[in-house]
This record gives sequence, C-alpha cells and structure tokens, in this order.
Amino acid sequence: MQKRYLSMASVLTAIALVAAACGGGGTGAATTTPAATTAAATTAAAAGEIIIASDFPTSGADASSGLPAQNGAAFAVSQTPSYKGIKFTFKPFDDAVNGVHDPQKGAQNVQQMLSDTKVVAMVGPFNSNVARAEIPIANQGALAMMSPSNTNECLTQLFPYCDPKPAALRPTGKNNYFRIAAPDTVQGPAMADYIIDTLKLTKVAVFSDNETFGKGVADNFVKRLQSKGGTLTNRSDFDWKTTNDFKPFINAAKAAGAQAIYAGATSATKACIVRSQMKGIIDAAAVPFTGPDGIGDSQCIKDAGDQAANMTFTNAAGEATQNPDAAATIAAFKQAYPKKEDLGAYTFPSYDCGLILVDAIKRAIDAAGGKVPTRQQVVDAVQATSGLKGTVGTYAFDANGDPKSATMAFYKTTGTPLDWAFIKQFSVQ
Amino acid sequence: MLSGVADARARFMAGTRGRALNATLVVLIAIALVLLATRVVALGPAYFIQILVYGFANGSIYALIALGYTMVYGIVELINFAHGDVFTLGGFISLTLLPIFGLEEGVSHGPGIILPLLVIFVITMVVCAAVNVTIERVAYRPLRHAPRLAPLITAVGMSFVLEGIMYLWRGPFNLHYPSVLPSDSISLGGANGPTIGFKDLAVTTIAVVLMVALTLFVGRTKLGKAMRATAQDRDAAGLMGIDINRTIAATFFIGALLAGAGGMIFGLYYNTLTFDLGFTAGLVAFTAAVFGGIGNIQGAALGGLIIGMIQSLSDGYFDTAWTQVLIFGILVLVLVFRPTGILGMRVPEK
Repeated sequence: MQKRYLSMASVLTAIALVAAACGGGGTGAATTTPAATTAAATTAAAAGEIIIASDFPTSGADASSGLPAQNGAAFAVSQTPSYKGIKFTFKPFDDAVNGVHDPQKGAQNVQQMLSDTKVVAMVGPFNSNVARAEIPIANQGALAMMSPSNTNECLTQLFPYCDPKPAALRPTGKNNYFRIAAPDTVQGPAMADYIIDTLKLTKVAVFSDNETFGKGVADNFVKRLQSKGGTLTNRSDFDWKTTNDFKPFINAAKAAGAQAIYAGATSATKACIVRSQMKGIIDAAAVPFTGPDGIGDSQCIKDAGDQAANMTFTNAAGEATQNPDAAATIAAFKQAYPKKEDLGAYTFPSYDCGLILVDAIKRAIDAAGGKVPTRQQVVDAVQATSGLKGTVGTYAFDANGDPKSATMAFYKTTGTPLDWAFIKQFSVQ
Repeated sequence: MLSGVADARARFMAGTRGRALNATLVVLIAIALVLLATRVVALGPAYFIQILVYGFANGSIYALIALGYTMVYGIVELINFAHGDVFTLGGFISLTLLPIFGLEEGVSHGPGIILPLLVIFVITMVVCAAVNVTIERVAYRPLRHAPRLAPLITAVGMSFVLEGIMYLWRGPFNLHYPSVLPSDSISLGGANGPTIGFKDLAVTTIAVVLMVALTLFVGRTKLGKAMRATAQDRDAAGLMGIDINRTIAATFFIGALLAGAGGMIFGLYYNTLTFDLGFTAGLVAFTAAVFGGIGNIQGAALGGLIIGMIQSLSDGYFDTAWTQVLIFGILVLVLVFRPTGILGMRVPEK
C-alpha cells in the first residue's frame, strides 16, 4: 500500500512541475492525461538544451594527442552558446583505460550518450579501433558521429580484406558516421610517393604495431611503394605490448640496405623507440624515419632521444596556419587555451568537426520549426553539409560519410630543440 | 609425493592420448625449427651471429631477474609476483638518478661516466633491495604459516601496488632512457658484417660478474650456507640456531639487488621503460627459472640465457607475435620430458 502512495505522490509532483513549466496555464483536465504530460515535457526540453558530446582518449599516454583534439571541439561548441533559444552544451568523454584508448570504454561512453536524450551528436573518436566498436552502437540510436582523425579505410569503404565490413558496422542500414580525415588508402601511399618522388629513395624497411590502424596504413604504404617500383627490404609486425627489442628488425633493415624506415604505428605503441634503438646500427642522418599521423606528437620526439632528427610524418588533415582565413580563430583559440600542449595536430580538424555539427544542428532546428531536432534529423543535416568552410578544409560528405575532398600535410623534425615543422600539404579527392 | 606425480605422468605418457599430444607438440616445434633453419640460411651467417649477440645480452637480463624468482622460491616456495616490478623499479630509480649525477642524453661517452654509473648502480640496487625486504616483511612474513594461496594473492597485490606507484610517479608514457653508453661497436668481419656493440659487452659483463658474485656468496659465505640450509629444511635449520627470518630477508634482499641491476641494465640497453614492463618481463623470467629448474641458481642463469636466445631468434626471424608462443611451446615440451627443469629443481624437502 505504501508503495502506491509513493508512486501517486511522484506522479502528482511531476504534474505540478510540468504545470509550473507551462507557466501554470494547463487546465486540470489536460494535465492528468499521460499523453499531454509527455507532450508538455518535450516542449519543456525544446526550449532548453542540446548536448554535443566528444569522445577522445584524454588521460594517460594518449592524452598528448587526445586532449588537444578535445580542446578544439570544446572551443567550436563554445562559440555558439545558443540558437533560437536552445542552449548548446559541450560534454567530453574519455575513452582511455590505463592511459591507452580502449574500444570497450568507447562503446560504454556511446551507450551513456544515447541514454541522455539531450545528446544529439558527438565529435570523435580519435582512434580507428575505437570507432569500430562505437559505430554499431551509435548507429542503432542514430547518433551522428564526426571524427577528426579516424583514417582506417574499412570504417567507410568496402574492400575485400575488410573485416568487419562497413555494412556490418551499420545494423540499421543507414549511415550515421562521418569523418574529415583522409583514409589510410591515402595516407600510406602519400608517404610512399614522398619517399620515392621527393626523397628519391627506393629501398624501405617497414614495421607495424599489428593494430587496426598501424597494420592498415603499413599495408597501404607497401602496396604503393611496390607499385611504384620501390623495394620492401623487410617487414615486421610487432606485438608491441611485449616487444622492447627492435634491434633484430633494425639489423635486418641494415643488412638489406634500407634507405628509409616506415612505421605503421603510433607513439603510444612504441613507434619512436625503434628510432632510438637505431643508434650505432643505422645512421639517423642518412636514413629518414617516416610514419603516419600517429607519430606526430612530442612523445615521439622524446622517445627517439638523440636520434630524433630526420623524421617525417603525414597528417590526414590540413594545417590551419596555412589558411589565412583561420588566423582569427587560431588567435582566439590560443587566448582561450594558452598552454603549448593544448594545441596539437588534430586541434583544428577537431574544431572543424564541432563546427560542422553546430552548423548541421542549426539547420536541423530550422527544419524542425525551431524545436529540438531528432537525432536522425541531425544525421540527415550532417549528410547534407555542403561547401562549409572550416579552418583546415571545405566540407561535404559522400554517401559513405567520407569527405569529398581531404588534405594531406607533411611535417618534419627541425630546429633546436627538435620539433615538428610543417613542410607541405596537398589536396586529395 | 614427487614419485606419485612421476608415476601418473609416466602412465599418461604411455597412453595414446599422451603420446598423440606430445607428438603434435614435437611436430609443431620441429616445423618451427625447420622454418627457422631455412630463414637462417636465407638471411646469411652475419645476421645470425648478430642475433646471437643480441640474444646473449637479452638472456643476461632475464637471467638476472630469474635468479631472484628462483632464490625466493627455493627458500619459501613462494612465487614473488612483485619481483618483476622490483625489476622495473630499478629502471625507474636509475632513470631518476641519472640527471642528478650529470648523465643525460648527449653526454660525452668518455671514461668519466664509469664512476657515476657505478654509484647509480649501487644506489639503485640497494633501494630495490630495501623495497623487496619491506614487501617481504609486510606482505609475506605474516602469512608464512597461512594457506599457500594467501601469500600468492598478497604477492599479486604487491605487484599491482608497485605498478600503481610507478604509474603515478612517471605516468603511463613510454619513458625515454637516455643513451649514456657509447654506441661504438667491434666489427666481427666484413663491411656489413656482425658487430658486438659496447652496450652488448657491458650488459653481458655486468650480468656475468653479478652472477659469479652470487654463486660465490651462496657457496662460500656463512649467510650463503644459512640460505642453503634454510632452503633444505627450514625447521631443522632453525633448530641449529640459524635466524630464519633474517636469512629469508637476506634472500629477498639479494634477489632484489640483482633485479634492480637488471632494471637499470634494461634501460641502458633498450633506452625505454614503461611502468608495466615488469609484468611480461617477470613472467618470462619466472618461466626461465622453471625452465632451468626452480630453486636452482645455475639453472635460472642458464634458463634465462636460453629463453633470451630463443626470444631474439624468434624476434629476428619471425614476427614478434610468435615469440611468446614459441617460448611457451618449448617450455611445455621441456617440462613434459623433464618436469624438474633442465638442471633439476631444488626446493625444501617435505
């Protein structure tokens, strides 16, 4: 009996609250029917708030790349505090466990976002294997995902070697996932072109960390290298968690006369420790160390120690400082986030992701007649994005969620103390 | 007890299933060896010798860790899971001490580095030893007469505590260990031929010196004799007037001296450290101790060397993902045919 009183009391409280929200205008008869209560609740939310979430690895080893990306997204959302009376809020999630990005944690984060009806879209994730775990969950809730840095080609495109296939990641059959980075089918080959055409070297030793991203980008590098007449001297796919001795690989590379090294790995998976162990075996000044965006952080330079010179990486997004129109945004960002480590290679790509979502949500709000749009309406609005100018690119998406055009930038270690410096960038279709 | 196990094993081995199981393992290892041989031939002798040089240095480090496992197991029949983390701690402590003594990246590799390095070695070893003795006092001694599972769990717990402390201390990043040792090397013939690096020599020499010192200590000194007596029969040793607690503490102390030195050597050699390094390194080193015959000091040294060598060969000729498979496959084989390890185990008699 007591329970029933309790539930009745809570219903009464709810009614009172709704009545208060409607300015006390509701008649007694209307507020007692459940349908009316729901309708009233929706109107109350519509006047209120929309949350744009983010999911990046922001603690531990991965924080060096995850936090700057999160800052970019947060800054983009903060520039549009509200639209037509609807408040825009940013809510960051961290997908790192023990300091390393974790697909399960990412999946849990997305579950949490789905359970909050105010969350209509998310920026992220940072890592391709996290995306693989998150897309199917977000897909079932029609939550728009907008990644600045995922590059694995199998997330969006079907290739014979893809496992799982892109369709399997989208149980509803509709796409909800978008990204602005060029896929690995572009990033790996871009470095192969650079080594053969610009550096005029042909013999390359390749290693990978055997993860979704690392192995994929290394495979694509090797394919292009060989199709352009280059030679793969030797290749190792390391079990990076248990391997600390990379000297056998380095020696095999030296014995085969490798002129360059390509790392299909990231700083967090020990890519740049390989560089430090080359000391005394291979001359760092003569043999460039190259890799994907995963080695483009300060951790890599630290790990490489006194062998850090002559390293180059590709970034699957453009450089904001090369865009004169972005100068004001960069200055404003630096004012809001003054520390050096606040800014990373993916800060402005991530900012652009936030920008795309805000733009799409605004259009969705307009289309919904000034009310909070549904998640599916937001996904449709993102898909309809066309010619939106960001800090590092101009955006439109194909049916797979890939950018119609992307930018590939090259960075090299230069200066004292050594740091990554922009060399060049080009647009890829 | 032991003979009962041996009988059961003999019966199993004589049975069809036992034979089939073993035959499969033998065939698999044989395939691996044939593959290895073809690759060795394909890549030439220079590379092979180079890999052996690395294997020796690698094995020396494992041997140093394995000694601590084997000594502790030999005397109290406890797998000190925290031992691998004491090894990592050695790396962390020395990494912190290096800049204090002016040894940083890009320092000149003259003879001037010998003295500060030696001092750092000693401090690192003693601090690690003190930590290990504290662990023994806090987590193992109160449980010495408790059921066997209790100290095993506290050992696992101490391992996590140490890893947690190192995580909080230096973060989860790969830590760069400055390359202070010269990278000069001696050529073993040919322009592109194998070389023995100064680092390889230094690592192996330090490890061998420490192991010889340990053997002499256990064989020649009074405390060493007490250790051997305690390992053989703790109660009888106590009755003979040996201070059991002190002897066991001394065993933990010496084991950690070697592990601490191993951690520092690891850093100097591979130029990298992570807070959870000791987990895998400890597991492999424990395997080495079992491989050589647990409780047997020479066995641990030999087991460490062999496993280090297998690891380098596998790393050098196959993908490193196969290394653990190969190591543990060989371990299973050795234990099936020699359950007491290569040199036989030495544990307290019951």
